[in-house]
Amino acid sequence: MTGFLDNVLTGLALGAVYALVALGFVTIFKASGVLNFAHGSLLLLGGYLTAILHDDLGFAGALAVAVLVTAAVAGAMDRLLLQRGEQDPRTAHVQTIVTIGVDIVLVTDLARRIGGDLLSLGDPWGDAVTSLGPLTVADSRLAAIAVSALAIAAAFALFRFTPWGLSLRAAAEDAEAAALMGVRLTRIRTVAWCLAGGLAALAAVFLAAFPAPGLERTTGQIALKAFPAAILGGMASPAGALAGSLLIGLTEALVAGYQTELHVLGEGFGDVAPYAVMVLVLLVRPTGLFAAKGATRV
Amino acid sequence: MNVTHHRHRIPKAALAAALSALLIAGTGCSSKADGDGAGDSADGVKGGPGVTEKSIRLGALTDLTGPYATLGKSIVQAQQMWADETNAQGGICDRKIEIVVKDHGYDVQKAVTAYADISPDVVALPQVIGSPVVAALLDDIERDEVLTFPQAWAASLLGKDPVQVLGTTYDIDMIAAVDYLTRAKGLKKGDTIGHVYFEGDYGANALEGSKWAAQRAGLKVAGQEIKATDTDLSAQVSALRKAGVKAVLISAGPAQTASLVGVAASRGLRVPVVSSAPGYAPQLMKTPAAAALEAMLNVVSAAPAVSSDLPGVKRMVAAYQKKYPGSPVDSGVLSGYNAAQLLGADLKKACEKGSLAREDVVKAHRSQKNADTGLGTPQDFTDVSRPASVSTYVLKPDGKAVGGLVGVEDAHSAPGVEEYLSSNG
Repeated sequence: MTGFLDNVLTGLALGAVYALVALGFVTIFKASGVLNFAHGSLLLLGGYLTAILHDDLGFAGALAVAVLVTAAVAGAMDRLLLQRGEQDPRTAHVQTIVTIGVDIVLVTDLARRIGGDLLSLGDPWGDAVTSLGPLTVADSRLAAIAVSALAIAAAFALFRFTPWGLSLRAAAEDAEAAALMGVRLTRIRTVAWCLAGGLAALAAVFLAAFPAPGLERTTGQIALKAFPAAILGGMASPAGALAGSLLIGLTEALVAGYQTELHVLGEGFGDVAPYAVMVLVLLVRPTGLFAAKGATRV
Repeated sequence: MNVTHHRHRIPKAALAAALSALLIAGTGCSSKADGDGAGDSADGVKGGPGVTEKSIRLGALTDLTGPYATLGKSIVQAQQMWADETNAQGGICDRKIEIVVKDHGYDVQKAVTAYADISPDVVALPQVIGSPVVAALLDDIERDEVLTFPQAWAASLLGKDPVQVLGTTYDIDMIAAVDYLTRAKGLKKGDTIGHVYFEGDYGANALEGSKWAAQRAGLKVAGQEIKATDTDLSAQVSALRKAGVKAVLISAGPAQTASLVGVAASRGLRVPVVSSAPGYAPQLMKTPAAAALEAMLNVVSAAPAVSSDLPGVKRMVAAYQKKYPGSPVDSGVLSGYNAAQLLGADLKKACEKGSLAREDVVKAHRSQKNADTGLGTPQDFTDVSRPASVSTYVLKPDGKAVGGLVGVEDAHSAPGVEEYLSSNG
């Protein structure tokens, strides 16, 4: 039983980190209809900045700079590369492809800089753990749970209660009508991209912190695990992103924890498991767990 | 809004992208004329590709921009240092040594192109990084008879005449690891050991060794397969703890070793952990797991620690630090320099026999029964289906030592290795 609870706790903590990434996917998708394949490299950029700056600025200072710079890069990417030409939601597919190109450029350069190093982000938690009875969990993961919960709540409040959130939802519902009502689509979009960029930088800290040994050139790839999370959450709601991420985190931890028992399913089942869960969920609810209402109304 | 009439745009864009990708790929595959023809030179030594009157050209397919960039740089610099030293003493066979270095960034496709580019014009390849790269090039290497020292140690690479795995293979390392655990760490019949391993050749070969040795010692193995992107091994540690392991073997990369040991220590699973050589890098001593690594980890390796007292190693480390101040001296430096020296010995022998043609270099190599560079244990290259050495050192991490490792046990062959090799035929 302890083993099971241990796996559940590990999974929830992992899911909390994925949630920060998935929330970025969702925010961008909601605002622009683009699936941001460059999210992993934005995450790597944020992590890299924190890693190289923390000696001079301290952890908090470095993280603040990293969040701001990554947000600016994400915003600039949207403004300079993606929003060129007509404001047409139908070009979202093309823009999605463009993000793949941006990802390759960013990753190549960052990988060259990081090389084979394992960079420490100088986070304050170190390898400390907290014991809850027979269970132990890394402090960095407890922090990740707290930060994700805060970030999700803030995003929810932002979408729901601010003029920007209202405009965003209006634009997501019907961009043309929203524009006619005076919603400035360009600005709404760019703010959303900045927000997602900042979240990616924040997520990098938790992906590189203790149970992991530090920031590697491949850390950005881990962001792709949040893809099924965002998709099975419905791509459009922060709550969905959270639920999806927790589900994926749990799946991953349980599959790894019971690898021996699951051996009948073949080698490498762990890689497939998150996607298997995604497909199963989508079979039952084709639009995801928390799909946008518009998608289900006829 | 009418969406349908715009739909045709997307396939067009995709088609354009696919076409341009094809074009780019097409231009990348440049073919090159075959190298200078064979034939006797003025000094009566038969030549071949990569050999001229004045020079012997070697090739390196390395990773300077990918995941093994640190390792690649170390090997390139160490082998260049060997070439410079050799040339300062007049070269080999009165010819200067040149090394052509190609970076493939751990991308198999780029490596294949790079091989096609340099292979017509080199005698041998003292460095090829990456198991998948070697696997993709095996047929070409065998056809071209280019003597190749891969920086990969899977037993599946044995049995090919021109391909020489230096030192021990992963399975032999793990047999030595299990032997060390039972001998020095008090593991007894009936105990369970965990084995965390990468998917693919590396892990599969290591697991073969650990399973065989465990069965022989009456131990059980709880395997945990992981992949290179897994850097948080919390769930694996939970599973190992549940299985009640008394020790853990790991055949993965440095990041995975750091996570495994760090997480295990923080959760009170303070058991000995033994890693294969590629699972450790001196950079780990700067991670939060450093203290736990020093307390719990051992590394089995065919090469001695860089901080070893062997005179050959000391001389090489001093020369390297002088030539490349600021570059870390890791195990790659040692293995790269060792490979270059062994190749130098092969070339000398081939020269004495009167031919530097590729196939004769391979023949000269296969006639070396006791190749000793003074950088570790002697190697026997005569049996193509056997690892060149079965002796391993046991090392442990030490943040203060050069290369981050110090010796624990000197090289020796683990009991049962011969039995294992003959049972594998």
